[in-house]
Amino acid sequence: MLIVGLVVAALLGPLYVWLNVERRSLQRYAIGSATAVAGAAITPLVMGSCGFAEGTTGVDHLLSLTLMWGAAWIALIALRTFFDKADGKAKESAAMAGEIRTGGYRMGWWVPWVLLSPTLLILIVFLYYPAYRTFTLSSKLAKLGAPRSVDVCFGNFTELLILNPAKLVAYPLIAIAVIYGARFWMSHSSPGTWSRKGADVASVVGMMAIFIAMYLMFSPGGGGQVDYRDVYVNTLIITVGIVAFGMIGGLAVAYLAFRKIRGGSAYRTLLIWPYAISPAVAGVLFFMIFDPTAGIFTHGMDVVFGIDVPNYRESAVLAQASIILASGWKILGYNILFYLAGLQTVSTDQIEAAVIDGASSWQRFYKIVMPALSPITFFLLVTNLVYAFFEVYATIDFMTKGAPAGKTSIAIYEIIRVGVNNGDLGRGAAQSVLLFAAVIAITLWQFRTTGSKVSYGGA
Amino acid sequence: MKGLLKYLVLFAAVMLVAAACSSDDTDSGTDTTATATETTAAATETTAAATETTAAPATTAPPTEKIDIDFWVAFSDEARLGFSEDRAAEFNEKHPDYNVRVTSFASYNDVFDAAVLAVDSGEPPGLIHFFEAATRQALDAVSDDGNPIFKSVTDAVAGRTEILGEPVVLDSVVDAARNYYTVDGSFYSMPWNTSTTVMFNNMDMLNEAGITEPPATWAEVETACAAVMALADAPSGCITWPNHSWFVEQSLGQQGELLGNADNGRTGRATEVDLESEGMLAYLDWWKGLSDSGYYTYTGLQRDWDGTSNAFLAHEVAMLVYSSSDTTFFGDNADFTLEASFMPSNGDTDYVGNLIGGATIWMLDGMEAATEDGALAFLNFFSNPENAAAWHQLTGYIPITQDAVDLLEAEGWYDESPNSKVASDQLAAAKNTPASLGALLGNFVSIRDVITIAIEDILVNDLDVATRMADANAEANKSLEEYELLFGG
Repeated sequence: MLIVGLVVAALLGPLYVWLNVERRSLQRYAIGSATAVAGAAITPLVMGSCGFAEGTTGVDHLLSLTLMWGAAWIALIALRTFFDKADGKAKESAAMAGEIRTGGYRMGWWVPWVLLSPTLLILIVFLYYPAYRTFTLSSKLAKLGAPRSVDVCFGNFTELLILNPAKLVAYPLIAIAVIYGARFWMSHSSPGTWSRKGADVASVVGMMAIFIAMYLMFSPGGGGQVDYRDVYVNTLIITVGIVAFGMIGGLAVAYLAFRKIRGGSAYRTLLIWPYAISPAVAGVLFFMIFDPTAGIFTHGMDVVFGIDVPNYRESAVLAQASIILASGWKILGYNILFYLAGLQTVSTDQIEAAVIDGASSWQRFYKIVMPALSPITFFLLVTNLVYAFFEVYATIDFMTKGAPAGKTSIAIYEIIRVGVNNGDLGRGAAQSVLLFAAVIAITLWQFRTTGSKVSYGGA
Repeated sequence: MKGLLKYLVLFAAVMLVAAACSSDDTDSGTDTTATATETTAAATETTAAATETTAAPATTAPPTEKIDIDFWVAFSDEARLGFSEDRAAEFNEKHPDYNVRVTSFASYNDVFDAAVLAVDSGEPPGLIHFFEAATRQALDAVSDDGNPIFKSVTDAVAGRTEILGEPVVLDSVVDAARNYYTVDGSFYSMPWNTSTTVMFNNMDMLNEAGITEPPATWAEVETACAAVMALADAPSGCITWPNHSWFVEQSLGQQGELLGNADNGRTGRATEVDLESEGMLAYLDWWKGLSDSGYYTYTGLQRDWDGTSNAFLAHEVAMLVYSSSDTTFFGDNADFTLEASFMPSNGDTDYVGNLIGGATIWMLDGMEAATEDGALAFLNFFSNPENAAAWHQLTGYIPITQDAVDLLEAEGWYDESPNSKVASDQLAAAKNTPASLGALLGNFVSIRDVITIAIEDILVNDLDVATRMADANAEANKSLEEYELLFGG
């Protein structure tokens, strides 16, 4: 199996060169092949070939091959950049980097490294080394204070997935097929026709296909497997909820507060306060509001209206909604701050021109203000997503502790519960790696899709 | 060459500015002059600081150097942390050679993780405060070089009756605690906060419903609840307790049911755990039944000590099963007639016994003889009759030594506050069997987590007890199996 993996990589190399490199030669095909094999060999060299050892399942093989070919692919991308540069066909980004380089340290190549060394040192000690340790830990069964640790290879990952390798391969392929199908349809339909409307629907379905495929790939639990589907769905709902509430609410409040109001600057300053509160305090505050015994809101509703407010922790919908409310409220101030700053840059000339042309206030907002704010919206989307993924642990811990029965346990909460509270270092690390990969994927996807629609003004 | 020199000078200047910035943190705002002078000022400041550092040991060290003993405590509340800090201060005054320093941590797990890491980095504390469920883990824990982290307190005392003038109280520790913490014949750690589960009753509410005595069995609880809920001004629920695995373990002890094999891990290492025993299912069925009929109030959070306690004090329930550790707190804060009683048990099985809960103080291995003696002296001072009695009166944790019990009796404390005696009486009523001692399990913290999650699932999502516990059982056994892979012989 290992050999098969390497042979396929050796064949993939020339194929990639053929498809992506302009000037091709026999020598370059050979280099491509060698690079792909070298890339593919990295994981077996680091981890050993444990993914193919005796007693491993099809899912283990699949994960091993995915890692090998993924590394080969990354190596090939690097090779392509190298070839392009050698051919003088430097791309835009490479040109920019070149420009900086020609600014030049005539002192020698080492000067920038010396100047960078304090930063690099901090990055290595506090970021790269811990990240490396997380990756190595993720293949182990380990606890603090234990006399030994046990290598489990991909065990910590496979228990999060379904155990059917064929389905694991099929689902993402189907999702990709749907996406490309939608694109194809889109490019072959003209605007305004029914066909285009169908294509619009298809492209939305295409995006959802990825998320559905991932849902199907995660294990539903039982038989020694972890119910990771639940965690995945919770994470999606709560993350999307926080980001949507935080950003739409932030823009709405900022737009209202931006108008000329008496004492506006003081009022606007006060709006930013929630941001200065820690996630833990936000959790405690909303706990105090909604707690069935001691909550202000619950008690008030009971006394004033005689309404018996249900315990928010016993219903999945209410529990998730209250987490979204508390976490979204906390990030609201941050979003307002940026949107307020952004609104000041919106061209008043354009607005005035629109007013003269008879545009309604909604049209002005939708056609002029929103596009002008797009760089800020994009920036906020990234920061809000990072916040929703990583910083809501404390809020959840104070408000629900994952209740009811794990329905508010999102990826980061689960990582801390398993890895820190239960001291299961390997599983915690494996789930961290998964979250890491997810965030990288989402960020890349954002830069490719949303990023290209962002207007930074200028000519 | 000249160019290189220029860069080096620039680099040196950058470093100096950086140094100036960092030293400014201590006394900020004094430097307002230009960069050049600032840099030189910083440079002289640095040298001044350097000479100060070299001079420091000579000037600040006392003639006889004190021996520091770090004591890491998992309490962060004013009362209980304050108690330990006060005792440390008294000890330091009494023994001028020693300096016991108390550091507070947020949880038992935090203390343990920090201690293991501190041992590996070469600066371990002397004593740490760690809880009963992790006894197996503490016994098994080793440092990087393979040595055990902790040392048996009995071994360290080595038969002495007095250490540095402090009488040894180890032999006077009450049986319930001694038996729990004695593993393989050795009494490893010094019990500190030790409690058991008792029931607190709002007697005003019960009397109003025509119930004169606190219910003692499950059936009596149901009868009492039917009466309470039939009141005109009925509360929103009748009874509550935290969804904490400790209550489940208590019920297993009462019914004489084992949680782990090898006699609950008492005669050997437990390698299997049983979450599907008859006693377990009986207890959870009863619990779910109470919840279904609206008698049991679930606060919706696991391990919710605060929420359940608030519900009881706010008259939202008539009965609260809780830790005896808060007896004094309830006595001070209840605005109704409070009566403590034994935890209700299954009337259909013979009563075997309730177990203890709480934490002990573990001594780290590898201290120098003088330091270790200081740590032992502190341990025995900490639980001397006066201190143990004061601790009991402050909280409701049981008086940990027989001498302290005698002292309290002589003072007439129990006549004054009979509720405080219930916990000790309940523990004394227990037969000394592996079931009532409680289990020693590896990965017990994770297994407890599995139990409470399953119970929440059963209560909130209305699942079948036996089916859900079968899943939980598989999960718990996997966890224990993995623990034995890592720690087992």
